[in-house]
Amino acid sequence: MAKIEEQKAMETGKKLNGIIDCDVHPHPKSYQVIQSYMSEPWKSRFNAQTGLRGMYDNPIHVNRLDSVTPDGGYPCSDPEFTRKQLLDEYGINYAILLPRAFVSRYSNPDFAAAIAAAFNDWLAADWLDNNNDDGRYKGSITVAPQNPQAAAREIERWAGHPHFVQVMMDSGSTAPYGQQQFHPIYEACEKHGLPIAFHPGTEGVGINQSHVAGYPTTYMEWHTCLPLSAQAHLVSFITEGVFEKFPRLKLVMVEGGSAWLPSLLWRLDSEWKPLREEVPWVKKRPSEYIKEHVRLTSQPIESPDDPKHLLMNFEMMDAKNILMFSTDYPHWDFDSPTRSFPKMPEDLKRRIFFENAKELYNLE
Amino acid sequence: MKKHIVATVEEIPAGEKKFISVNGKSICVFNVNGEFYALRNSCPHQGAELCKGSVGGMTVYNGSSSEGFDVSFVKKGEVLRCPWHGWEFDIKTGKSIVDPKRCLVKSYDVTVEESDVEMINAQVETYLVTIKSNYVLVHV
Repeated sequence: MAKIEEQKAMETGKKLNGIIDCDVHPHPKSYQVIQSYMSEPWKSRFNAQTGLRGMYDNPIHVNRLDSVTPDGGYPCSDPEFTRKQLLDEYGINYAILLPRAFVSRYSNPDFAAAIAAAFNDWLAADWLDNNNDDGRYKGSITVAPQNPQAAAREIERWAGHPHFVQVMMDSGSTAPYGQQQFHPIYEACEKHGLPIAFHPGTEGVGINQSHVAGYPTTYMEWHTCLPLSAQAHLVSFITEGVFEKFPRLKLVMVEGGSAWLPSLLWRLDSEWKPLREEVPWVKKRPSEYIKEHVRLTSQPIESPDDPKHLLMNFEMMDAKNILMFSTDYPHWDFDSPTRSFPKMPEDLKRRIFFENAKELYNLE
Repeated sequence: MKKHIVATVEEIPAGEKKFISVNGKSICVFNVNGEFYALRNSCPHQGAELCKGSVGGMTVYNGSSSEGFDVSFVKKGEVLRCPWHGWEFDIKTGKSIVDPKRCLVKSYDVTVEESDVEMINAQVETYLVTIKSNYVLVHV
């Protein structure tokens, strides 16, 4: 498959550089498109005028200003233009697509599940089954955590689809995701060999708890603190024994930062030594579960004044095996594949930019 | 350093901009409240086409009082925000707002000069026409 794709890319004069972009955000041309996949009563209740959160919206701009499509459409709403501006521009082999439906914010679990399903129908129709001759677009199955059984059924509906490669939930939630009530989702993921990915964006929005005490005042405060949400879910996964219960499950923390990982690994291991008694299902050092089961996407990669410090951090977190490159296209805090990382040894770069994601998603 | 005629004054009204290419360099000429400035179209951060960003003003902090923080909106039309990460640059100097000494974009001198430009009118018969006008010149 890889050879065929490389061949195709070469025929059209496009070079692949060994990059997998693990966080790309396709957007419907309009919300009426999503609505068209819904049935009543949800169809007429869905607010097709706006997909905005209504709070914690970026006051400057939420999308790269140069990512508006040539016909004036919403950024990342045209698979052809995204292929040109992102995949071909940088020689990206595959883009892992994570639509932002923000479904975890809704109070009604059935409504949330209906919106998630409509986003999946749209993603399959517009990005995966069509406009994807080269197979470079790989999708995420959006599920709503409010009703884990319904989420598991949604996973069943798409499992086996050649281009859906993972399941995705908003990390804005009503409870830490390691808890028992969410396990039907992970059971379905494990059964079908699909990693579960958490992506921020609904923290403190709708029915969800905030990731800090109370509500952050500004977008900057809210956005800076998003890694706290990722860390809390990760700690929950460990202490609740999720990986012991689902030994083949993989977890992807998307856009939640990564520089915090070394200190979290150290702290988890230190806490476990005296407190193992409380969590006897945690049979190994927490850091061992994380190294085996968890992957982090890179964007927004931290950029210390001295790039050497980032490389030291990579070593401490074992970035060579755990970090996966991402751009977050078309969002404002896009990480350029050529400009966001310091110079790295070639084998480390290859692991982060390609091999780690290739292995996780079984890509060729 | 050579002067390059890049536009007539009328071509770039206040608040507008024009992209030009000089010696293979992408440069943008801005009209800020009647004065012209030119910047290299590349962000020093991650290489975005900087001048495709938004132009506006900026909010600054003046101090606090019993009524809270006192802020004002200044440099209206003088601040360019990168289309990617939103870093702010002063169009008049090319210097970034947050780190003006170390983070800046190349700026070029711009002058407005009256000059004669000879054009060939080749529609029906050929005449030599001289247009006297004010031109915007970028010094690269």
